[in-house]
Amino acid sequence: MSEFLQATVYGLLEGGLLALVAVGFSLVWGVMNIVNLAHGAFVVTGAYIAWKLNTEMGLDPYLGMFVCAGALFLAGYAIQRLLINQVVNAPIWMTLLLTFGLDLLIVQGLQLLFTADFRSINTSWGTDGFAIGDVRVPYGRLAGFGLAVAVTVALVWFMTRTRSGLAIRMTGMDRAAARLMGVHVRHVYALTFGLSAALAAMAGAILGSINTFSPSAAGGFTLQSFVIAVLGGLGNMWGALAGGILLGLVQAWSGQYLSGTLVNAIAFGVLVLVLIVRPTGLIGRPYYEARAEA
Amino acid sequence: MRSLKLRFGLALVLVMAMAVVTACGKGGGGDEESGVQDGKLKLGAALSLTGSLAKEGALTKQGYQLCQEKVNARGGVNVGGKKAKLAITYSDDKSEPDTAARLIDQFNDDGVKLTLGPYGSPSTEAAAAAVERNGQVMVDSSGADDNIFTKGYKNTFAVLSPATEYVAIIVDSIMNGATPKPKTVAFLSADDGFSQTAAKGGVAEAEKQGLQVVAQESFPEHTTDVSSALTKVRGKNPDLILGSVHVEEGIAIVKQSAELGVKPQGFGETVAPPTPDFSKALGDSANGVVGSTQWTPQVKGQDEIFGTAQDYAADFKKRFSADAEYHSAEGAAACLALVLAVEKAGSADSSKVRDALAGLDTESFFGPITFDDTGKNVTKPMSAIQIQNGKVTTIYPEDQAEAKLQWPGTGG
Repeated sequence: MSEFLQATVYGLLEGGLLALVAVGFSLVWGVMNIVNLAHGAFVVTGAYIAWKLNTEMGLDPYLGMFVCAGALFLAGYAIQRLLINQVVNAPIWMTLLLTFGLDLLIVQGLQLLFTADFRSINTSWGTDGFAIGDVRVPYGRLAGFGLAVAVTVALVWFMTRTRSGLAIRMTGMDRAAARLMGVHVRHVYALTFGLSAALAAMAGAILGSINTFSPSAAGGFTLQSFVIAVLGGLGNMWGALAGGILLGLVQAWSGQYLSGTLVNAIAFGVLVLVLIVRPTGLIGRPYYEARAEA
Repeated sequence: MRSLKLRFGLALVLVMAMAVVTACGKGGGGDEESGVQDGKLKLGAALSLTGSLAKEGALTKQGYQLCQEKVNARGGVNVGGKKAKLAITYSDDKSEPDTAARLIDQFNDDGVKLTLGPYGSPSTEAAAAAVERNGQVMVDSSGADDNIFTKGYKNTFAVLSPATEYVAIIVDSIMNGATPKPKTVAFLSADDGFSQTAAKGGVAEAEKQGLQVVAQESFPEHTTDVSSALTKVRGKNPDLILGSVHVEEGIAIVKQSAELGVKPQGFGETVAPPTPDFSKALGDSANGVVGSTQWTPQVKGQDEIFGTAQDYAADFKKRFSADAEYHSAEGAAACLALVLAVEKAGSADSSKVRDALAGLDTESFFGPITFDDTGKNVTKPMSAIQIQNGKVTTIYPEDQAEAKLQWPGTGG
């Protein structure tokens, strides 16, 4: 029983981290219909910035993540405005190609700058924790989970209560109508992309303090985000959190009760199953209808 | 229309940029026949310069580079009385075995018959098949998995100790030096062929030494989450946790054991602890972890090109401003074996070099190099190290030891 509880707690916390990585990816896909293959590269970039801040200035990653978020917001805004906006009306493979290229450039760039060494941000408290009975709860992961929930709540608030958020959602629903209502669509798209990159960078900073990372980890983060976005469903800000937690739990339980080497196969099996039973993801709109305007 | 053109133009530029990025590192080749050309002895090496094994690939390349420089500083390779400069061509296999095999074919098309191994068992296995098919020769610097040596290949020779020794040497070193001696052990292993073979060798050695094996768990290769395996192991309370792993999983075992409150007397892990990343990423919690390595600067033996292991380490430090470690030493040793074989054969002809390699029996900075019928270097012992005060310290075999094993490895 204690093994089950431990696996569940750990899976839940891991799910929060997964959600944190995926939330920005899901946002951009839901609003702009862009599958951003460079998302994982943004996550890793965030991790490197936080690592640099930690090793050079001793800044805790939970403070450093705000710097990462700021830097990546600006970078994301510029990338959307200058690059992706050029192909936003082109067929989807064009944006895939573009973001794939971006991913390669960023990952290779990081490798040139930081080498392919494995890094980890050491905090004095990250691996400490407390125990409830036999179940250990590590502080580092708990904080990551808390952040994932906080970010999701903040995002929901932003999207439903602020003018910018409403403009983003409106543009996602019907771009032509939004433009007629006086929404500056290019700015809104860039804002969304910047926000997504900022969230990715925050996730990177936190993951960097919990796990190891290297430039080549980017591909894995993108793939995870993709699975979680589809699993949770697009067009709903809670989707990434739901998808992340489901994936975290499935991985933890399958690792516990089935072979540890099958976790990835089972995670993808669950994805297929969810798509058969609920093609819209757990709580989202169908991804092919996520945008009202085709 | 104009803007459409502009967009496609931009896309084209990006595609080209991508092509440049992915193609960088891919070397060219001539269309000469095998052997010495223009006073140069050409060798080919398909290495992981990008992708998930870029780190290890770069280290291996440093070993090859140092070898080339040392050999050429001495005047080159003596091929049947004529000196030829060593010229190694590098191609990037992107950490993909298929690509490694394709690059070996490409070397063959370019007339390069003598090759140095790629990084890692999967790429080496794929490359070995191509080498065999094309009648090339490969000296393997880092592929230790049994799969490479059980297919009856005649043209692949590995300078390193086989996979079965990686965990076994850790068991040996701990059972030899630890008080109190551990009684129970749990094995954690990545699911790739090399790690599984290494774990099997470790289990056999543990049972031979009277340890009780309480758990054997596996997880996907290169994962950063080994919590399921640790949760399962925790209830069994093993004295010793041995990981047959790569760097990421190795770091995860120590980190997540702390998170989950798993407290054995000590940890032992195959290839992770000797890499500098391990101590850097883990900080103080790296202390006490035992690891195994193909080479340390304390290895006995010397050769005419590199001198002793200490000489090699000093040269490496001078050239690359970094401490010598085993990946690059493996690379240098593979290159050394090939050079010695060419000199012995007095020719760069691939079948003559193959025969010379099969009969090679030499001491080197890397330890003894002799190959058995399958191409494995079975005479070379591995070494065990322990992280002591953040430093990789050789502890076993005793004739190389810089310090004694500190036990319990987890400090209490």
